[in-house]
Amino acid sequence: MKRIIIDKSLCMGCLNCTIACMSEHSSGSKSIYELDLEDAANEGRNHITLDQCNKPTPIFCRHCDDPECVTACMTGAMTKNADTGKVSYDEEHCAACFMCVMSCPYGVLKPSSQKDKKVIRCDYCQDREIPRCVENCPTEAIKFVEVDK
Amino acid sequence: MLNKHCGVCPSADTTLQGFIASLDVETAHHRVKNQRVKCGFGLQGVCCRLCSNGPCRITPEAPQGVCGANADTIVARNFLRAVAAGAGCYVHVLENAAQTLKELSLQKGKFKGEAVLNRLADMFGIDEPDMHQKGVLVATKILEDLYKPRAAKMELVEKLAYKPRFDLWKELGILPGGAKSEVFDGIVKTSTNLSSDPVNMLFHCLTLGIVTGLYGLTLTNLVNDVMLGEPAIRIAPVGFRVIDEGYINIMLTGHQHAIFAHLQDCLIEEGISARAQAVGAKGFRLIGCTCVGQDLQLRGTHYQDVFAGHAGNNFTSEAVIATGGVDLILSEFNCTLPGIESIADKMQVKMICLDDMAKKANADLLAYSFKDREENSERVICEAIESYQQRRKQINVCIPKEHGHDDCVTGLSEMSLKGFLGGSWQPLIDLIVKGKIKGLAGVVGCSNLTAKGHDVFTVELTKELIKRNILVLSAGCSSGGLENVGLMSPGAAKLAGNELREVCESLGIPPVLNFGPCLAIGRLEIIATEVAEVLGVDLPALPLVLSAPQWLEEQALADGSFGLALGLPLHLAQPPFMTGSKLVADVLTEQLLNITGGQIIIEDDVVKAADKLEAIIGQKRTALGLT
Repeated sequence: MKRIIIDKSLCMGCLNCTIACMSEHSSGSKSIYELDLEDAANEGRNHITLDQCNKPTPIFCRHCDDPECVTACMTGAMTKNADTGKVSYDEEHCAACFMCVMSCPYGVLKPSSQKDKKVIRCDYCQDREIPRCVENCPTEAIKFVEVDK
Repeated sequence: MLNKHCGVCPSADTTLQGFIASLDVETAHHRVKNQRVKCGFGLQGVCCRLCSNGPCRITPEAPQGVCGANADTIVARNFLRAVAAGAGCYVHVLENAAQTLKELSLQKGKFKGEAVLNRLADMFGIDEPDMHQKGVLVATKILEDLYKPRAAKMELVEKLAYKPRFDLWKELGILPGGAKSEVFDGIVKTSTNLSSDPVNMLFHCLTLGIVTGLYGLTLTNLVNDVMLGEPAIRIAPVGFRVIDEGYINIMLTGHQHAIFAHLQDCLIEEGISARAQAVGAKGFRLIGCTCVGQDLQLRGTHYQDVFAGHAGNNFTSEAVIATGGVDLILSEFNCTLPGIESIADKMQVKMICLDDMAKKANADLLAYSFKDREENSERVICEAIESYQQRRKQINVCIPKEHGHDDCVTGLSEMSLKGFLGGSWQPLIDLIVKGKIKGLAGVVGCSNLTAKGHDVFTVELTKELIKRNILVLSAGCSSGGLENVGLMSPGAAKLAGNELREVCESLGIPPVLNFGPCLAIGRLEIIATEVAEVLGVDLPALPLVLSAPQWLEEQALADGSFGLALGLPLHLAQPPFMTGSKLVADVLTEQLLNITGGQIIIEDDVVKAADKLEAIIGQKRTALGLT
């Protein structure tokens, strides 16, 4: 299975991964030129924060082996695929209790800023071969690589 | 770096910080945290978006843009573009000032600083008995230089520059042609697939530095002195305490004092107060903000009846409006933050913009024109009265009157300081020779919110320098920060080292001298030049350093280029988007020492920066044979 591996030392904090994610998950066009950067509905599933030394630090969903978000989910909206390793989220089954948000050890899951009571989380860009954030990282600080199960 | 005022960036001015934290409007101080993640390519100056193959960024895997431009070319191109834009801003300011002087002279108007007109005429070699004709000739001479083609060198450079510098500039081939053409060609040179030579572009920056310094700074000061009066040293109040809610308050932002000349005169005319009193106010007051406020403060002796005082610098302006005490904002140039718009709307403050260069989205444009000055000033007065009447019933006024100081020493200029010293620089030179004053530091330029916070680096560095007996001279938004924390009040002498403290206390002066707006960096150059002349040395030999610790804008980079052309060490807390190019960084921080004598020193630690500046002053003292 493939995972996003982060090399923090290469991250320059350009936020290209974030805007790529926003663009990929935007309800309209997937073109970066048409991404509305003032529309709060366009939300990134990843973010860059700064550590104690002001070093940019990418925060990405790990699609954990033993995902706390899945354990915490009471409706079964959050599931782990044993074959692909991917954690999926089914909006239809979500009760918006946000226990997944509270239990994520990386602080990467978040409630939608909109009033639709959904959870915003990484989906590895659904059918894309390489997630768009990885594709748009100019320093290869994030890579999509095959890892052992 | 958040502190007890959660969500607001730190400010050296803790009263201001507390006030901003208590506001229910958003300011730049609030927005810093959401902009704290920066683009690394941008910070290093290696992002190029000059063509549709881009934006290209330089990485180890991609050392060239699609076109083949490497980091050196990209950084130098971006840097020259910024310097050209900054120089252009200052040239615009001088163009308006000189044009106003010309029209005022043709109308046989009143000069409040005739001595300065004579000084300019003598400098330019103009022999004309009639003062108004003299004004026309001086202004024309300046304008003619600005409009020359690049191939024709500007004539006044030789008359304004210190001879050893002029000779060096000539030898280096960096004497400027027409100012506007130099700016124009700086833009052309850096366009898509034109110059790729980083050294040639950096030399163009030096040329633009000369344009900025001698013309944009020095001549703008002097032309304004002719029309608006010479600075005179006096004690003045600063900070929010200058705002008296009993008056109809007009806040000024920008850099063009000349544009306000007529309005100022209208507001001290007899009978004008009656118009304010008719709507329940005590009269009219001008509230200084940003550099043009510093200009008014500098020349405040001529307008004491209407000028309330300087409230604060660029990043104080939002809070000034949020007090509710301002009824009208008149803006004409930069440091008029877009962020003031929403606050002005909320506080129902009318905004009028007098120059479309700085047109604010929600302001009425009332383009300045000398011809229409009567009509325009009347419109401003009517709008101020109307705004006062409409808003005061609905808006709460809350002015932190404890903010600021009543005893700021202001009005310093090359003439007023020399006058204070008895008409000669010898007393200052003697103090330096004796070691009572170890050296001089020009702490100048802007304020930003990122070098440790609002004015934090500027204030901390200044305290470090005076502690080491280095006299600090300030011009720009830096002085706005320094005055509001009390460093420009005589009581600040106790923060200085023993030797400097003794000097300050015996003269009754603060250890940080307030020259006012960024334009007054030109006045510091005149002082440096005159002192160097007395000593018979070139500028780089002086125990004088510059720091623009919290530089913000492109204009600051143009000012900085002037400092480099003068051969002076220039400290910056944050690099000017140049570190991505080893060549550009090497030229600006090392190689220039052997070319003009100047260098940029990048240091983001206050104490280390002071150590470096003190060490340079020490070396220069030793070279001059001083202990």
